[in-house]
Amino acid sequence: MRSRRSRSGGWVGALTSTDHKRIGVHLGLASFAFFLLGGVFAVMMRAQLAEPNGQLVSDNTYSELFTMHGSTMIYLFVTPMAIALSMYLVPLQIGAISIAGPRAALAGFWTWLAGGLIMQSGWLSADGAGRAGLFSPVPLSNGTNTPGVGQDLWVLGVILAASGMVVMAGCVLVTIARRRAPGMALLRMPVFSWTGLVTVLMVVGSFPVLIVAMILLYIDRHGANIYSGFSGAIDYQDLFWFFGHPVVYVMFFPYLGAAAEAIAVGANKRWFGYKAFVASVMAFAALSMSVWAHHMFTTGGVTNQYFAFTSTALVIPAGIEYFDVAGTLVGGALVLRCSMLFALTFFVQFLIGGLSGIFVASPVLDYSANNTYFLIAHFHYTLFAGSVFGFFAGVYHWFPKLTGALLRERLGKIQLAVMIVGTNLTFFPMFLVGEDGMPRRISRYAEHPGWATLNRLETAGSVLIAVGVAIFVANVWVSLRHREPAGDDPWRGHTLEWATSSPPPPLNYEAPIPPIRSYAPLLDLREEAADRERREREQAGAPA
Amino acid sequence: MTLIALISTRHEYDALFSVYVPIALGVFVVIVIVILAAVLRYRGRPPEKAARWSEHNGLEAGYALLLTATVAFLLYLTFSAEHRVDTVSARERPSLTVDVTAAKWEWQFSYPRYGITVRSGTVGRQPLVVPVDQAIRFRLASADVIHSLWIPQLRFKRALIPGATETVTLTFTNAGTFTGQCAEFCGLRHADMVFTVRALSPAAFASWARAGGRTA
Amino acid sequence: MRGGAIPLLAWASVLAVLMAINWIWTGDAIQVGMFGFAVAAILTNAIAFIVRARRDAVRRGPPPPAREPEAVPTASLGAVLVAVAATSIVFGLAFGRFLVYFGAGLLVVAAAMVLREVMAERRERRAWRTREQR
Repeated sequence: MRSRRSRSGGWVGALTSTDHKRIGVHLGLASFAFFLLGGVFAVMMRAQLAEPNGQLVSDNTYSELFTMHGSTMIYLFVTPMAIALSMYLVPLQIGAISIAGPRAALAGFWTWLAGGLIMQSGWLSADGAGRAGLFSPVPLSNGTNTPGVGQDLWVLGVILAASGMVVMAGCVLVTIARRRAPGMALLRMPVFSWTGLVTVLMVVGSFPVLIVAMILLYIDRHGANIYSGFSGAIDYQDLFWFFGHPVVYVMFFPYLGAAAEAIAVGANKRWFGYKAFVASVMAFAALSMSVWAHHMFTTGGVTNQYFAFTSTALVIPAGIEYFDVAGTLVGGALVLRCSMLFALTFFVQFLIGGLSGIFVASPVLDYSANNTYFLIAHFHYTLFAGSVFGFFAGVYHWFPKLTGALLRERLGKIQLAVMIVGTNLTFFPMFLVGEDGMPRRISRYAEHPGWATLNRLETAGSVLIAVGVAIFVANVWVSLRHREPAGDDPWRGHTLEWATSSPPPPLNYEAPIPPIRSYAPLLDLREEAADRERREREQAGAPA
Repeated sequence: MTLIALISTRHEYDALFSVYVPIALGVFVVIVIVILAAVLRYRGRPPEKAARWSEHNGLEAGYALLLTATVAFLLYLTFSAEHRVDTVSARERPSLTVDVTAAKWEWQFSYPRYGITVRSGTVGRQPLVVPVDQAIRFRLASADVIHSLWIPQLRFKRALIPGATETVTLTFTNAGTFTGQCAEFCGLRHADMVFTVRALSPAAFASWARAGGRTA
Repeated sequence: MRGGAIPLLAWASVLAVLMAINWIWTGDAIQVGMFGFAVAAILTNAIAFIVRARRDAVRRGPPPPAREPEAVPTASLGAVLVAVAATSIVFGLAFGRFLVYFGAGLLVVAAAMVLREVMAERRERRAWRTREQR
């Protein structure tokens, strides 16, 4: 049954499409556009901080820049992109022909997009965009201390964007529960789909708390005294961070899944330790819901020891995942294509972020490092050096499936090299300057021995990152203009999405889905065929 | 009479740092070597050569136990240090009490015993003068938004949240001049909310205090 | 598998354990409350999945032929307008009261459009079923 509107193809058809693949692509493209915007904010901040007592932007503008950089990257890039990947790939990987609740997913996408635009519309208001930080604590963010419609628009934008993401995540959750193809038991779901499952569980369990916190903040800003006194300030932080910690794992797991798929396919070997991996991502996600007040160690308002305990315990599932990486590589037949290289880089660089995270999970160490550039280094290593590289691994891996064309390998390797240098040049010195006493969220700093040099290195690195991203955009452009056809399965993939055309048809599978016996059904078939061939050759070579 | 050593946040930090960082570096090096070695050893082989095994639950369980033991060890060190810094220090009898009031965008340090008040930040730069090797009780209050008292030399910071007065007990172990900075974004001139700390010998501090805080 | 509920039940259990430890260790009402919300949200989904689980057993081999067609919409203007309406209401809080009223009106229209789409889908499915049975 086709509605009247879908026949009107073109723009209207595209924008009202309920095909999960189109929604996923639109969400991904919009997120990437926001990534570029957030990157512009970053480069502006780095330009300001390249010299002591920088004068490029005013103190007020700087506070808008760091607020909007963080908000854009978290609410409008890394998180929605994680949902976009899940929305596109999970139904394909589990053999579903569509997502559950496609209308809801579509409405969710538009709600998110509207939230993003409303958040950014603050730039056009008289007092400027949101400027109380991504964290936006009370009393700083209340009507007295940060008045004006720009901050209001920020709060409303967050509410809409988060609501849209909850709805989209809910659709993916129901799809996994109810739309798996027969034979696709949960313990035969691909690794990426498991990371997608825990991602949407965290979204459903924690994002509503953020929405409540923001609604209350909005009301607080307009007369009612909701968050009052010491306990009100702590309550706000509890509510915000209950979302604010799981969200960083939402911004990690799908990219971990993408990197894992890229590595398994690149190694021509199924992912090692599947059951341990499933248990560890479930444990990792559950723990991630219980660590949030490590962001509040220095407030004196929470029981630091409980949160130090849960935060340090993260070592266990994380360690299992790294063990599985090694187990997949060892004994494999490795093809060092771009997706594989980005994935390996993801694991190495993320490790720096993860280890520095265990460092600040210890309250006494955090009393020094909290709110310094050490912390900025920590979370940029996990989010940028980690997740964004995992994102590129996923892009190089699945671009052919999405578009039917291959991305250029040579350009991709140049991009990787430039980004490795740029990323480490930008973020590693931050560990050092933070240890030396440079706090975060300052628009200028006085002369301190070594700070100008380190900051200049960081600024140079940020420019290199921008160059790397530009190379990627150029790669996409060239690859779509002068197409190298990819075919259904350019990489000898393991999972069901490689058994359909590139790009997949509207209902995902035109031919019957191959038999599903494990989490790597296509690899199973290939091995079976190889065994059969070998047996036939042996029989032919031994005459009766 | 045995002297009980005063808790030094700097010392606690350095001690934990000296365990955490080498472990982190070691883990990083091992994992990078394993990945690099695997990449070099197994690249370029034909796909049929790839091994078919894909799990070893016994090995993983053993590895998980090793990780659990590591976590237990780190937690033991962490809990002990945190206990000393937060709980034991609070039981020390302070030789000095300083009332700290943070407001946009200045610090006010008052010595109730001596009737001295110094201010620093956008209003100027009068140093916070303290004696070394003595327990100093800081009572932290904020007049408006959340600020954070950070003295990098002590490797310590604590938030000042309006509506309640927090108490911390700190000890300076080295004499000298150090910087202090607000470490919680508090609005337009957050970057200017800095102060200087001058740690003097107890004798020099006493004469400073007697002189009403005018010489140092 | 109970309609995919088992991982949710497992996850909610782990969360409940962490919540219990939190309660014993901190006694902080808001923290336990948020934990409780998360556990409840996941359990609600799990129960919904169990209740609506189909009787299909897990089977090996190729998928069985479908008993009933799945109705898959290709487009929905109504859904987009629901989002636009919600946005208008929220934006109107900051920008101007008229947007709130406009949004509320649009929401009614858009909800009606979605309802019409869903009912048309159901009609088509029923018609297909009766055709097949003949």
